[in-house]
Amino acid sequence: MSANPDTAVPLVAVRGLVKRYPGVVALSGADVDVRAGSILGLVGKNGAGKSTLIKVLAGVVQPDEGEVRVEGELVDPHGAHQSAQLGFAFVHQELADVPNLTVAENVQLGLGYPKRLGFVRQRELRRRTRVILDRLGADLDPGAPLGALSIAQRRLVMIARGLAADARVLVLDEPTASLTDEEIGHLHDVLRTLRDEGVAVVYVSHRLDEIFSLTDQVAVMRDGATVHASPTAALTPPGLIALITGNVEAVEERPRRPSPTGTPEVLRVEHMTAPGIVEDASFAVRGGEILGIAGLMGAGRTELVRLIYGADRPASGTVSMHGTEVRIRGPRDAMAAGIVLLPEDRRNQGAVMDFSIRKNITLPALSQFRVAKPVPLPHNGRERDAAELLVKQLSIKAASVDFPVRHLSGGNQQKVVLAKWLQAGADVFIFDEPTHGVDVEGKQEVYDLMATLADEGKGVVFISSEFTELVGACNRVLVMREGRLVGELEGDAITDGALVERCYATT
Amino acid sequence: MPEEMLSPAAATVVGTPEGPREPVAAEPGARAHRLNGLLARYGLLAAFVLTVVVFSIARPDTFPTMENLKSILTAASPPLIIAAGLTVVLVMQDFDLSFGAMIGLASGAAVALAVTFGWSWEAAMLAALGFGLVAGLVNGYLVAVAGGSSFIVTLAMGTVLTGIEYAITSQNTIYSGVSQDYVDIASGTILGLSNMIWIAAVLAAGIWLLLDRTEIGRFMYAIGGNPEAARLSGIRVRTLRTIGFVIVGLSAAVVGILITSQSGSYTPNSGVSYLLPAFAAAFLGSAVFRPGEFNLPGTVVGVLFLGVIQTGLTMLDLQTYIINLVQGGILVTAVLVSRLGQRSA
Repeated sequence: MSANPDTAVPLVAVRGLVKRYPGVVALSGADVDVRAGSILGLVGKNGAGKSTLIKVLAGVVQPDEGEVRVEGELVDPHGAHQSAQLGFAFVHQELADVPNLTVAENVQLGLGYPKRLGFVRQRELRRRTRVILDRLGADLDPGAPLGALSIAQRRLVMIARGLAADARVLVLDEPTASLTDEEIGHLHDVLRTLRDEGVAVVYVSHRLDEIFSLTDQVAVMRDGATVHASPTAALTPPGLIALITGNVEAVEERPRRPSPTGTPEVLRVEHMTAPGIVEDASFAVRGGEILGIAGLMGAGRTELVRLIYGADRPASGTVSMHGTEVRIRGPRDAMAAGIVLLPEDRRNQGAVMDFSIRKNITLPALSQFRVAKPVPLPHNGRERDAAELLVKQLSIKAASVDFPVRHLSGGNQQKVVLAKWLQAGADVFIFDEPTHGVDVEGKQEVYDLMATLADEGKGVVFISSEFTELVGACNRVLVMREGRLVGELEGDAITDGALVERCYATT
Repeated sequence: MPEEMLSPAAATVVGTPEGPREPVAAEPGARAHRLNGLLARYGLLAAFVLTVVVFSIARPDTFPTMENLKSILTAASPPLIIAAGLTVVLVMQDFDLSFGAMIGLASGAAVALAVTFGWSWEAAMLAALGFGLVAGLVNGYLVAVAGGSSFIVTLAMGTVLTGIEYAITSQNTIYSGVSQDYVDIASGTILGLSNMIWIAAVLAAGIWLLLDRTEIGRFMYAIGGNPEAARLSGIRVRTLRTIGFVIVGLSAAVVGILITSQSGSYTPNSGVSYLLPAFAAAFLGSAVFRPGEFNLPGTVVGVLFLGVIQTGLTMLDLQTYIINLVQGGILVTAVLVSRLGQRSA
């Protein structure tokens, strides 16, 4: 309820935060003011540093440099408990609640339940919860088990928990993901009410419409630093997009890949659906194409390609190869049909970390290396020859191919996973974030590799959250948002700005 | 949080879905780890040699003799067979706690079906193997296909198998009427060594070949290392896990047949005593040769180590309770030592 939020001392002042991880700088000078009675929109691309900033406030991550002040006082929260004592409350994208406890038990969790003779006074607990829920205008039964509630209702319960802890700063990380328009409207009303009561709200969102309709202030982060802070009213949607992307094509100019003409279609996907995750996705890839799939985290890109590959089972949808429908009940069938997938998460899905480079590379096509064709015994020497060739081609840095993958750097691990699928061979290669954790040089090698495959007539599908690399590598890009394919760009229409616009749902 | 797997070397996964990975804490204890690694890799072999030396000094007339070696190997044969089978499921990070009961069921079926029900001993023996096969298939289905926890599923299966054993044998001990041909299976000798030793050696060699030399074995280790990566690489994860349980079931059946054949009699529920030694041998074995990884040569060393301790302590004419205390103590120590190696591996 501060009468003049622009001049009041900020409730929370973040100055010059720097956080380095080995090989990555997550924050490189973040400055943010959070004012009481104001809603701050925090925006930026994936990896811009928003999450790390929030983790600092939550006491999960300690910064290497910089300071955080609450009401002018220097603070250094270590752990969730200290952060809560300072008045911070967080509603994370992934719900951190206890589904088998009741609403009331969740709201008061960790705050000390009212007790008599050591027993929890359930009635009093529910009464207190009722008061908080009324404040939020949430018509929920405090005695209901949380697991029975919708995601939107559970987010409200998390907000109620912040209020129960007397939070002065409420931080919401993409709270409207997977909510309906009506639920979003209600959530926004609740946040406006809280703001008017004097709570400071930090609102992280990729949806620019929300930023403009809800927030009072905007802070834009890019590459770990705050690049802009102003009242929301001072910005226009195109201006904000320019701030988010940086509007600089700093990446090495690669000649635009021309769309192939006259090559046959290799892969066709029709009506691929997994309810609530991927809705009715249809597309085709021709030989010689590098087809990008753009989208934000959680848009359903990874889920879509996993459905195609048979890693998950779709509710409906068909996959055709070379014009013939194929039945894919699992990765084996997909591989047999000529499709391979390089999964996004190499640690958990790509590599067997305790296996050597050689054993990882030959795993999907081990039968190529038998001592004799009918004898299912792998010939180590032949395996080694093939592995050494790929290690050389992809310039994987390791003492020998018998070196365990666990001890390689992240970029080299990723290359081993690449090598493994190149060795297996296929007609369609699906790369899901293949440059994650790969350095600049390595990225170029990955792009070259994809181009080589396409030039050989293979179909390449390339998922990336970095729009610039899609712009540089693809001849066609599909845009996915909230489980649907919502746009397609081809040739010169593929630009950073066009991708951002379509991914961020500005309309 | 990913579900923690029961395993000697459960991989710890560091990192968050978004953003950079949390830095792995710099390891000031890296040198201590290397030392532990050495201790673990060679510790068991050293302990093995040391035990042999100590017993040979303590009982120079009886311990270091050919006769004793033969008897240790003979006694170690049934545990070796079951421990070798168990190694296959452990490689894939599964557990089987039902094999003790399966041994009991197989011994009951092989003896009682012949003696009480009048089947030919061959038919009874095949029935025992059939039980092992079916028990393995059911375990495999419940764990690998239906997704049950192998720990609980096989524990429950053990109770079921014991129930079937009692239904067949009415819990009666059988000590007469066993066919001489059946007794000859285990009691016969080839080249001066008991048939049991040969059978155990052949089976262990077969499982070694399977795990360390065949495609299937490579796939089994891949499943143990990263089941999701294995599945995405087109490996038949469910089938191979089921095969693992079938191998344990069949191994247990073979053990049940051999111990009744050796003694020419049947005692109810005699298999449970194999549970601890088999697991202990496999875990001890995961500390030698390839630390942090279950492996058949290691399992063989583990079985022999336990066999030497058992025989040696018995020869020292110690009272039973002391044998139990010492045996348990050595086991716990050895397993702890091997854990050090697995952590540093």
